[in-house]
Amino acid sequence: MATVTIDRPVSRPSRGRLLRKRAPVYAGLTFYAILAGLPVYWMIITTFKPDQDLYNLKSFPLFFNEHGITLDHLRLLFFRTSFGTWAWNTAVVSFWVVLITLVLSIPAGYALARLRFRGAESLTIGIFMTYLVPTTLLFLPLVKVISFLGLFDKVQALILAYPTFTIPFCTWLMAGFFKTIPFEIEEAAMMDGCSRLGAVVRVILPLSVAGMLTVAIFAFTLSMQDFVYSLTFVSSSNEKVINIGVVTELIRGDVFFWGSLMAGALIAGVPVAILYSFFLDYFIRGITAGAVK
Amino acid sequence: MAKTASATLARQGTSRWPPAALERPDILGPILVSPAILYIVLLVGYPFLLAVYLSLSDASVATTGLGKFVGFDNFVSLFQSPQFLIALRNTLMFTAVSAVFKGLLGTTLAFLLAENLPGTRVFRFIILLPWTIPIVLSSITWKWMFDTQFSLINWVAHAVGLLRPGYNPNWLGDPVLAIISIIAVNVWRGFPFAAVILLAGMTSVSSEVLDSAKVDGAGPVTRFRKIIVPMIAPVLFVGSLYDLVFTLNDMTIVYLLTRGGPGDITQVLASYAFLVGVQSGALGRGAAIALLLLPILLVVVFFALRTLRRRDI
Repeated sequence: MATVTIDRPVSRPSRGRLLRKRAPVYAGLTFYAILAGLPVYWMIITTFKPDQDLYNLKSFPLFFNEHGITLDHLRLLFFRTSFGTWAWNTAVVSFWVVLITLVLSIPAGYALARLRFRGAESLTIGIFMTYLVPTTLLFLPLVKVISFLGLFDKVQALILAYPTFTIPFCTWLMAGFFKTIPFEIEEAAMMDGCSRLGAVVRVILPLSVAGMLTVAIFAFTLSMQDFVYSLTFVSSSNEKVINIGVVTELIRGDVFFWGSLMAGALIAGVPVAILYSFFLDYFIRGITAGAVK
Repeated sequence: MAKTASATLARQGTSRWPPAALERPDILGPILVSPAILYIVLLVGYPFLLAVYLSLSDASVATTGLGKFVGFDNFVSLFQSPQFLIALRNTLMFTAVSAVFKGLLGTTLAFLLAENLPGTRVFRFIILLPWTIPIVLSSITWKWMFDTQFSLINWVAHAVGLLRPGYNPNWLGDPVLAIISIIAVNVWRGFPFAAVILLAGMTSVSSEVLDSAKVDGAGPVTRFRKIIVPMIAPVLFVGSLYDLVFTLNDMTIVYLLTRGGPGDITQVLASYAFLVGVQSGALGRGAAIALLLLPILLVVVFFALRTLRRRDI
């Protein structure tokens, strides 16, 4: 009893002050969360809401109504479109893009970070600049290149095109990672009789697993951000990747299958968003690597 | 000397692979970089030069060749075309206006996130969704939110009393509203990134400097302007550069929301290049439109180079 009465005057004002200081911050964050999250929330609601309620002006849009929850939109998406094929194509494209990106950007990143050779500096800047060369400039001439290679309207076109933006970014990212590994570790391995390549394979690469994983994740998430290439190079339903399939095949003339569209967007989008969020700090570090020393 | 000797000795003991030449940075370096460079030269460098050629030709999607050389015809006719001029204006306007709002929203948000209160991680995940969800999928969601009949935006606006009863604006069908909608989606997509970039910069500013400024009597505004901004300027710069290039090139939002309509009023260079180059098949003219982004980008790249040169590589 006594302790409580003593405690109160001490803790109460501080808790009140804390609350007064924190409340506006939480209020602000809530505002932003609603602004940012509303479309995604709307995706979820639309996915599971039956058409009778969805297209009824009298029903409260922000939650489920009298007809409850339905899986019809998901059924339509899975069984009456090529959704499975698009998902598979996305997996195939992502696998190859990640592989090509890793194989090309790890050695390049290492060389640019560690080996002093003529033109290394210009190459580093050049590679960063490549990342700034926009898809808008490239998609039209790439139509010609891809037709020449006989890959038009095939998923392989995308496997070829996506590394044009993943390689520059990931090389830049890898170079940043290699720079954080102390030079002495490599030197010690070379002193012990390893060749330089041996030191890289036995010592440096095992230390860069986190970096390589990040690069793999970004090769994937950056590919998932594409729209122009997949829209331009692929038109057959069976060759589409998931994003483009969802936004082109669920619209018949003027009719939008909103339930299934949102279901597709949800299934394709949320995993990418989660992955991206986890690795966002590396992404920020990657693109600001030049700016902070 | 001793080091090379022992290394050579050890190598003789084990195997002759890899050859000694690979120990030299000036040989190994170029070998390791060349596959990546080759890829970039073949699939970025060559297409870029091809774009320049195509823009000077009458090439079309249908023909297999590269078309006939027509000099600057494409460019001349573009600058006489009202659609093109609108697309050019929109590209610049959308980018500039949305940059201002992204900056404002992003800065406020960065300060809120910097408080780092319990639960910030959850908020951060939700707030980052516009940036992390593939833009194709969020754009189509916005199309649904702007629906002519079942617009969630209108419903919410009515619910909070922002729209007078009975008035249902046709967001994507009205020229002015369509432009506003596209800019709004642009801002929605980019503000979380602006915030995160700012936050990354802010956390790199040492609290000691800020504290001593506080002691010297600098208010929050002065501290922001005189200490935080100059210290995070480089990060801010690279971040805005990235966002700028992205926004200048993005056709996803326009294509999915309005297809450039009504009546080509919301077309941007990227979507117009797609319309002309792919949908109408006039590859040469489309390439010319896309190429006109280049002068704008070159200005951006010039500043990028200047910043990058300053860094120690």
